[in-house]
Amino acid sequence: MDTLGEFLVHAITLEDESAQRFDELADVMEVHHNSEVAGLFQRMAHYSRLHLADIKRQAEGKELPHIPPWELKWPDDEAPETVAHEEGHYLMTAYHALRAALRSERTGHAFYAGVARDTQDPEIRKLASEFAAEEAEHIALLEQWLLKYPPPREGWDEDLDPPAVVD
Amino acid sequence: MSNPSVSIALTGSGGAGVMTAGQMLLTAAARAGCYGLMSRSLGPQIRGGESAALLRLSTAPVDGPDDIFDLLLAFDWGNIDRFAAELPLNENSVVIYDPGQGPVPEVVREPGPRLVQVPLKEIAKGIPGGRENMVGLGLITTLIGLDAASLRQVIEERLGRKGAEAVDTSWQAVEAGAEAATVDGLPRLDQASPAAPGSRWQISGNDAVGLGALRGGVRFVAAYPITPATEILEWMAVNLPKVGGALVQCEDELASVCMALGGSYAGVPSMTATAGPGLALMTEAIGLGVASETPVVIANVMRGGPSTGIPTKSEQSDLNIACYGLHGDAPHIVTAPTSIADCVFTAQWTVYLAEALQCPAILLSDQAMGQAQAVIEKPAEVAFIGRRKVARPADLENYQRYRITADGISPVALPGMPGGQHTADGLEHAPSGTPSTQAAHHQEQLDKRRRKLDRFDYGDHWAIRAGDPEAELALITFGSLTGAARDAVTRCAEAGLPVRLIAPRLLLPVQVERLEAALAGATKLLIVEQNHEAQLRHLLAGHIRLPAVVDSLNRAGPLTIRPGEIVSALTTLAA
Amino acid sequence: MSAIDADTAAPVLKASDYKSDVKPVWCPGCGDFSVLSAITKALAELGIPPHEAVVASGIGCSSRIPAYTTVYGFHSVHGRALPVASGIKLARPELTVLAAGGDGDGFSIGGNHFIHACRRNVDMTYIVMDNAVYGMTKGQASPTTEPDWTASKLTPDGPGISAFQPLEMALSAGAQFIARGFTANPNTLAHLICQAIRHPGFSLVQVLSPCITYRPEQRAYKNRVHQHFGHPEPATDRREAFARLMDDDGFSLGVLYKGSQPVYQPAPAPSATPEEVAAQFAIC
Repeated sequence: MDTLGEFLVHAITLEDESAQRFDELADVMEVHHNSEVAGLFQRMAHYSRLHLADIKRQAEGKELPHIPPWELKWPDDEAPETVAHEEGHYLMTAYHALRAALRSERTGHAFYAGVARDTQDPEIRKLASEFAAEEAEHIALLEQWLLKYPPPREGWDEDLDPPAVVD
Repeated sequence: MSNPSVSIALTGSGGAGVMTAGQMLLTAAARAGCYGLMSRSLGPQIRGGESAALLRLSTAPVDGPDDIFDLLLAFDWGNIDRFAAELPLNENSVVIYDPGQGPVPEVVREPGPRLVQVPLKEIAKGIPGGRENMVGLGLITTLIGLDAASLRQVIEERLGRKGAEAVDTSWQAVEAGAEAATVDGLPRLDQASPAAPGSRWQISGNDAVGLGALRGGVRFVAAYPITPATEILEWMAVNLPKVGGALVQCEDELASVCMALGGSYAGVPSMTATAGPGLALMTEAIGLGVASETPVVIANVMRGGPSTGIPTKSEQSDLNIACYGLHGDAPHIVTAPTSIADCVFTAQWTVYLAEALQCPAILLSDQAMGQAQAVIEKPAEVAFIGRRKVARPADLENYQRYRITADGISPVALPGMPGGQHTADGLEHAPSGTPSTQAAHHQEQLDKRRRKLDRFDYGDHWAIRAGDPEAELALITFGSLTGAARDAVTRCAEAGLPVRLIAPRLLLPVQVERLEAALAGATKLLIVEQNHEAQLRHLLAGHIRLPAVVDSLNRAGPLTIRPGEIVSALTTLAA
Repeated sequence: MSAIDADTAAPVLKASDYKSDVKPVWCPGCGDFSVLSAITKALAELGIPPHEAVVASGIGCSSRIPAYTTVYGFHSVHGRALPVASGIKLARPELTVLAAGGDGDGFSIGGNHFIHACRRNVDMTYIVMDNAVYGMTKGQASPTTEPDWTASKLTPDGPGISAFQPLEMALSAGAQFIARGFTANPNTLAHLICQAIRHPGFSLVQVLSPCITYRPEQRAYKNRVHQHFGHPEPATDRREAFARLMDDDGFSLGVLYKGSQPVYQPAPAPSATPEEVAAQFAIC
C-alpha cells in the first residue's frame, strides 16, 4: 500500500463486499428456508455495514483512486473478509455460519495486520493497526458466540428429500 | 365464362426454355393490357428437369387457374406422365407438339384434344441462333391475338444487353413461329387495351409477401432457405437494406425464428419465412413469442406434407400446425392471403397485428401463389404500419412488463429505455416478469394473452366476401383457392344459383361472431380446401355453429381444385 | 460499445446497481453466484448503463441469470440463447449484448448455434457456466461430463463418450476471444468478462462453475486450476492457440486467444422509401 487513498479504497471494498456477500448468503438461506442462518448472515451484514460506515467517515474528504476489482491487492482473488459462496450449504447450521464468518474475520485481520507491518506510511500504519484491532475484537466476539453453538452431530447435511426438478 | 381468358401450358425438359418463354409471354400479355397468372410445375432435378409453365391470361384480373387448358404447347414429352394430371385437357383443347419428339403419349391423347404438329425444332434450326422457345412464343401470341409489339418490347428488354443481333435472331424465330400459327378456335385477347404505365404490377406471391412485410415495417429478417419460401427471403435480402433493414442467414430454423425474436425484443419489427418442416422446428420458439409477448411474423409457404413431402408442389395442409402446433394454451395469430395481390395487403396487415398485439403471427401462403407470378392492379397503399404500444414515462415508474390491462396489451419497454429493464420470459411470470408458479399468475397471464386477441378490432379485413350475402348456399375457403372459389361463385350466379363466399384472411383467432353472422341464414355450406384431412372444416366445426348441411370439397395437393369442380360440388349440394 | 477505458475511468454505478432484488434460486454454494457478481462488476467497470445492456439466456440453472441483473434480459428457450442474443445485437448494434447459460444449454441442445455464433462473429460475449452436469433435471451427464462419470441414473455406466471441448470448438469455428475463468476467482473472472466485452467480435468465456449438489467433487477444482495456457499472454495466432490447447488439462485459466477477424454487423444505409422499392413491380 503506497498511499492512504489506496489503503482506504481497499478497506472500503473489503467491508462493502463482506456486507454484500453476507446479504447474498442471507438471501439464499431464506430462499432455502433456513431462516436461522439467514438471520445470522443478516446480522453479519449489518456489522459489516457499521464498520463500512465507520471507514467511510474516516475517508471523508480524502482523494480515493478508482481501482478495478482485479487490481486490488488482496492476498487471494477476493477481498479477505468475504465468505466464499462455496461455504454455503442449504442445511448449514449456525455453527457453520459462525465458523465461516470467523474464518473471514481472521483473514480480514491478517490482511490489516500485514498492511500495518509492511507499509512505510505512518498514517496507513496507524489506520491499519486500528482496523486490525477491531477485527481482533470481532474474532473474539465470534469465538464467544460460537461457544453457544457446538458443532452439529454427524449427518447434519443428510436430506431425506431428493433434489427437485425445476425447469 | 365471365372472363374471356385463355389457359396455356408450356412443357419441356431442361434447356427448352419453357420458364423463360412463360415469363416473357406473361410480361408481353401485361404490356398488351392483359392480366394474367403463371404458375410452374417442376421436376425434382436441379438442372435439366421437366418443367411446365402454366399460364392463364385474361382481359380481366385472374386469381386462379381455369378448369382446362385451351392450349398445350409441348416442346417435348419428357416425363409428361409425372405431371400430366396437372394439365387437364378436353376435346376443345389444342395440343401443339413437335413431331420430331415422338408420338403423343396416351395420357395426353386420352381426353381427345385436337392434335397439331408443328416442327418447332426444325423451324428454329432454320434461323441461325434461333431457339425453339421463341418459335413457340411467336406461335402462341399469334394464336391468341396478342399484340406483337408487346412481345417485341419484352424481347428487347430481355435480350437487349446481348446486342441487336440477339434481338433480331429471336425476333426472326418469333416471326417464323407466327407463320406456323395456322390453328383456329382458341380464345383471343385482341380486345385488351394497354393500361396506364405503372397502374399494373407483375409480381409473385413470395415477392408480394416480402413487399407487404417491408411496408408493414419489418426491418430485420432471419433466414433459412426452404422450398417454396426462399424467394421471400431472397427478395428481402436485396430490398430490405434499401430501406435500412437487414437480413441475416442463419444455421437452421431454430436459429432463424429465435434471431427474429431477438431482433423484435430489441424493438425492430422482425420476421422469418419458412415452409412446413421449418415451421415444425420453429413451434417451440413461437410459443416463447406467445409467452414473452414478443411479436414476430412467420411467413409459411405451404407445400405437400407431412415430413419432406412434396416440396415443390402446393398444398394447404399446414393449417393444423399453424393453429394447433404450439404447446400449452398459446393464443396467437394465423392469417392467409387470398390471392397473389392480397399477399401484399395480408403480409402488411399481419405485421401490423403482430406488433399491435405483441404476439407471433403465422402467415399461411402456399406454393401455388408463392411461386406464381401475376399481373395485377397496383395494390393500394394502406396505412397499416406495425406499431407496438411502447411504454411511456409514466409506465416506467415501477415498470411491470406484463401488467394486467383491460385490453390485455401491456406497454413494452425496449432496450435503451431507462427504467424499463425487465426480463422477457418464457417461464410463466408475475406481471413484473419474475418467474412464477402461482396458479393466480398463470391464470391472469393466460387470460390477458387471450383477451388481447379477443378484444382487438380486426375490422372488415378479417375476410374477403363475395357473391350474394343472403344466399342459402355458402362457400368457405382460404388461401390460393379463393380465386377458383370466386370464379365458381360467379359461374353459379350466372347459372341462377346464388352463393355467398367467405374467405377468411384471419384464421386464428377464429372470428366466431363474424363468421356466424356471415353465415346467418345459410342452410348449406361447402368448405373447400387443399388438404387430405379437411383441416379448415375441423377448425371451423370446433369453433362455430355451422349450417345444418355441411359438405367438404377437399383434396391433397398437388392437383389444384378448379372452379368447375367447385361449381359441381355447389350444384350437388344445392340439389 | 462504450469507449470508456476500464482501467482509468471511475464507474458511475457500482456493481451492486446491476443486481436486481430477485433472489436467485441457485443452491447455496453454487458457482453461478460468482458469475453474477463478476458480470455486474464488469458492467460497472465498463460504465455501461443498465438500460443499454441485454443478457439473453436459454434454459437451465445458470440461464436464470438475466432476472438477477438490472439490465434488459430475455430468458428464452432451451439452447437458443445465442440466436436470441445475435438477433438483439444485429437489430440494435449500439446495445451491449451478453449471452449466458450452461454447458448443456450451450454445447448440447445449442451446440449448432454455438458453432455458428463463433463463425458469425457478431460482437457479443457468451458466458458459459460449465459444471459438466444438467442441474435442473436432476443431474444428468452433459456434453462436458467425463465419459466415466457414473452418478447419473440416466447413464449408470457413465456417458461413455468423449467430453466436448468448448475452447477447441470455439477456436476452430472462429471465435475471436476465448478465455476460461473459475468461480472461486470472481475478480479475475470480472476482468476476463470485461476484456471479452471490449474485444470486438464473438467472445467466449468458459467459466468452471462447480455444482455442489450433483458434482460435489468439483469443490476440488480449486486444487486443480492453474494460471495461463502455458503462457501469460494470449495467443494471437490460431496455430499457437491450438498448440496451447493441446497441452491444456481443462484447468488452465486466463485468455487463450485474441483474434482480429472483422465483426459481422450489417449496417444498411437507407436509400429508398418502401414505395420506391415497390416500383420495381410496375409494368411500364
